[in-house]
Amino acid sequence: MSHALRVVAAEALKQHRRLFGQPLVLFSMLLWPLLTLAATYYTVLPVMESATASQRWPVAADPRRLLAFLAAGALAYTFFFSLVQSAWHFSFERVSGTLEALFLSPANRMALVIGNGAAALTQNAWLFGCFAVAAATAADVLDVAHPGMYVVAALALVVPAVAWGAFLNSLLIFSRDSAFLYTLLDDPLWFVAGVRLPLFALPVWIKAVGVAFPLTSSLVVLRGALLDRADLGDLAGALGWLVVLTVGLFLAASALLRLGEARVQRTGNLQVF
Amino acid sequence: MGATFVRNWRITLRAYPWTYFVGTLATGVLTIGVSLLAYRAIGGGRVGASFTAATGSADYLGYVTVGAAALTFVTRMVLWVAKAQITEYREGTLESQLLTPARRLPYLVGVTAQALSTTAVEVTVLVAVASALGVRLSVPDPLVLLAAMVAATVAVVGMSVPLSALMLAAGEAHITQNTLFTAMALLCGFTFPTSYLPAAARWLGEALPVTWALRVLRAATLPGADVDPWPAFAVCLVLGGAYLLVGLSILPPAERRALHRSARA
Repeated sequence: MSHALRVVAAEALKQHRRLFGQPLVLFSMLLWPLLTLAATYYTVLPVMESATASQRWPVAADPRRLLAFLAAGALAYTFFFSLVQSAWHFSFERVSGTLEALFLSPANRMALVIGNGAAALTQNAWLFGCFAVAAATAADVLDVAHPGMYVVAALALVVPAVAWGAFLNSLLIFSRDSAFLYTLLDDPLWFVAGVRLPLFALPVWIKAVGVAFPLTSSLVVLRGALLDRADLGDLAGALGWLVVLTVGLFLAASALLRLGEARVQRTGNLQVF
Repeated sequence: MGATFVRNWRITLRAYPWTYFVGTLATGVLTIGVSLLAYRAIGGGRVGASFTAATGSADYLGYVTVGAAALTFVTRMVLWVAKAQITEYREGTLESQLLTPARRLPYLVGVTAQALSTTAVEVTVLVAVASALGVRLSVPDPLVLLAAMVAATVAVVGMSVPLSALMLAAGEAHITQNTLFTAMALLCGFTFPTSYLPAAARWLGEALPVTWALRVLRAATLPGADVDPWPAFAVCLVLGGAYLLVGLSILPPAERRALHRSARA
């Protein structure tokens, strides 16, 4: 166990040295999400101002609550997207030829991908996270049942995100094309997960797809705990499902890593780009 | 110009970036999707009075669809035209380009012509998908629509050339292009009228030729919006031309800087 922890720490430190202070982080984790958030807000505003909207969805009646709802979505999405970016960086290991060296070392594979994802998360998302918390406190839109719910919301965001990152990183053992990550997991992810719309507005089949992604349930917990004064009892269903998804993702990641390693041992194409 | 057109078509046919295509198309379709769902499930098929007042029309879905199609057009065109030279630089052919007696403007026009032909296909697919989703579009005045396309092309080329110089000078494209795209999506009035923005942001938007091209496009596609498109058309051409001139004048120093950097490396 202490061996695995040392691997996690070392990999996290490496990622930290690679990423910290890069201007890309500032842009992709703060400026772009903020601009996109503002554009989304103004785009849906005409609909929210219609007379029926406030009856169907009380949040629509108050622009500040609407903005808080969308900002919570943007926050969680940014957390998960920083993991997509980390997986993208992981694919550089293959380009620079160090992926092979990683697999020659006795390091626990699972610890590697977890370390990689966790570091990316703390490197990238803290910026927007701090900003969102500061903005929400200043605008006085938070409605929390008790202080413990902050911890629940943070855990419900971070732990599934790390599992998601481990899963994405393990996928890249099989493929050298990381472009599919951006295509498949950028726009469609926010659409099915209810980042910009309440879940009730989505058709059933989109909701069904969305349930399979941890971001959807993370968002339910985050919004419930921080904006709607929900307590543990109210969120039990979402939290339970989130635990199932997280365990499932970790299991899938570990299985993929084992399968992928067996495969590259046979084909020998780990250093091929 | 002709040679560039033919060469870029060959590249496109041999190695078409499908992931880019799916990516930009998905952004457009999903933007329309969110508006559609919000409009039907939350708004109950109605929009607030502020939208009707700002646009002179209650056709929210048409407004967003035309805007999303225009955003796809602008994004793709900028990706082609502004990234043309930094791609040459990365592939190692910028030196050869500088050695040939070909001038910069015809080269860029060639790139633009080829980009127009592929982007037209992509925008058509997007509009077809929107119609399949049940969005009804109308074109009251085809001549104005044509003018809008001319205006949009001038605006895009005008903005792409200084951007190309910026990318060459910085040796970087990813941050520059995405910052421009997200800023334009907010400032230019693609999916909502610019009057929703705070005054400072609105003025920033007024300085971009794309904002004016969109006004011409709205006059052509929004039923009930009774505005004269020609003043906006003129402003767009003047602004676009000014950006183009600035871009052409800062391009040579940017090229020199890029060459110095690759000589040092």
